[in-house]
Amino acid sequence: MDSLFSQLCVLGSSLVLIFGLILLWRRGVTAYVTAFTWQSIVLAAVTVTVAYFGHDPELYWVAGALVLLKVVVIPRLLRQMERRFAAERELEPYVNTATSLVISGLLVLFGYAITRPLVALSQLPTRAGMPLAMGLVLVSLFVVISRKKALTQVVGFLMLENGITLLAVLGTYGIPLIVELGVFLDVLLGFLVMQIFIYQIHETFESIDVEQLNRLRH
Amino acid sequence: MTGYVLELAQAALALLLAPGVVGLVRWMKARLQNRRGAPVWQPYRELGKLFRKEVVVSSNASWLFHAAPFVVFASVVAVTFLVPILAVPLPFDGIGDLLVVVYLLLLGTFFLSLAGLDPGSPFGGMGASRAMTVAALAEPTVALAIFALALGAGSTNLGQIVARTMTDPGAALSPGHLFAFGALFIVTLAETGRLPVDNPATHLELTMIHEAMILEYSGRYLALIEWAAAVKLLIFFSLLGNLFVPWGVSLALTPATLALAVASLLVKVVILAGAVAVLETRIAKLRLFRVPELLSVSFVLALLAVTSSFLLR
Repeated sequence: MDSLFSQLCVLGSSLVLIFGLILLWRRGVTAYVTAFTWQSIVLAAVTVTVAYFGHDPELYWVAGALVLLKVVVIPRLLRQMERRFAAERELEPYVNTATSLVISGLLVLFGYAITRPLVALSQLPTRAGMPLAMGLVLVSLFVVISRKKALTQVVGFLMLENGITLLAVLGTYGIPLIVELGVFLDVLLGFLVMQIFIYQIHETFESIDVEQLNRLRH
Repeated sequence: MTGYVLELAQAALALLLAPGVVGLVRWMKARLQNRRGAPVWQPYRELGKLFRKEVVVSSNASWLFHAAPFVVFASVVAVTFLVPILAVPLPFDGIGDLLVVVYLLLLGTFFLSLAGLDPGSPFGGMGASRAMTVAALAEPTVALAIFALALGAGSTNLGQIVARTMTDPGAALSPGHLFAFGALFIVTLAETGRLPVDNPATHLELTMIHEAMILEYSGRYLALIEWAAAVKLLIFFSLLGNLFVPWGVSLALTPATLALAVASLLVKVVILAGAVAVLETRIAKLRLFRVPELLSVSFVLALLAVTSSFLLR
């Protein structure tokens, strides 16, 4: 029973990480939105698994809120933005694709290294997935700093949040429901604020390339 | 004794089945594209026709051009003896492990590239340089991906890897196996000249890789090379099928389990062929300069596979 549980968790975490890596390889905004949606679906599935095997009914609510927010609402808002900025593909990131893939591989390695004490300390059957969640956090952070288009950075930020949620679910069977709801609200608000920013950047520079912001210095 | 007979039977089965697999992929692809498609056994007819035709060789070609088809064919035949297609353990397991398999396959690619360069035609040179670019990036990934499985089994012996996964079914769903499967699948597409990397349906196109190298070949030489390419596809399919989902591979040498092994091999090959056909229908060929990026995706997956199977042992 426990072995099936831990297998499912690791499987889910691996899939979540793979959807995160798609961000580095694909260039179109459509692919990013699809990857993010699927990642959130798998994340919700992992949460439900933990709720079922860990006998924690509160997590069902968390999974429900997750689906509502990250599979329905945010992808819809992202698609709205995509219609407007679809032509703005991530053609020249600061770090080219091949290098950033290798770097992200190393980042996941680093994630394994830093979660080692955590994994050793934990007795939970979900512990094997934690390095992958930490890897996703680091990779998303790397996406945010190495990509030029504001929209890519926003998706990177959302995936970062997914990584943290995954870490919380696997590491401690989730934080209290009320905190979780607060976090979700924060994400939604943060996303809305970023959306307004992107529209403003586009308004000012006719592009969502954040390189352009350097011009503000003069 | 039965072990050696089985080895021969396995190699013969691989050689006979391989053109059919190519035909199957082509047929499925045609059906998916609303074409009627040539029958599955069409490649056998093509090979038969090519074997009967005369060989025309450029006057600039050296002995290398004549030798290459035999080296290419011999290398894949040797690999069919070493890969667990039907049963484990096999008597030849001790002769070659995964490193031997990887480098035998590379030997074939290397000679094919030399043969492409040899007659001095511009297409051959272009194809050879591209094939080397792909091979240089793909070959370490194959080794690394299978190595991730070898870490779990504690041996680089392919037969032992299969046996080990069968005794521990949970391992088939571990992240190491999943990442390694993804990596090996991408490499399979690259190494066997399938769509995102090379277009197997085209014969005269500036971006071709495999076809460009063999453009100068004709008659039985061409037949040998095409046959070897088909066997290579089957080898990769059986690696994907038997290393990652080993159920069905025969552990005892009884007729019943062997029949089951043949049946399960056919099922796995049909599923993988279907996956390749769907993929080839859905996606377009990548620009040549994006191919290294795709291969670095698979390299990173293989790296993650090795890491996670090393750290989560």
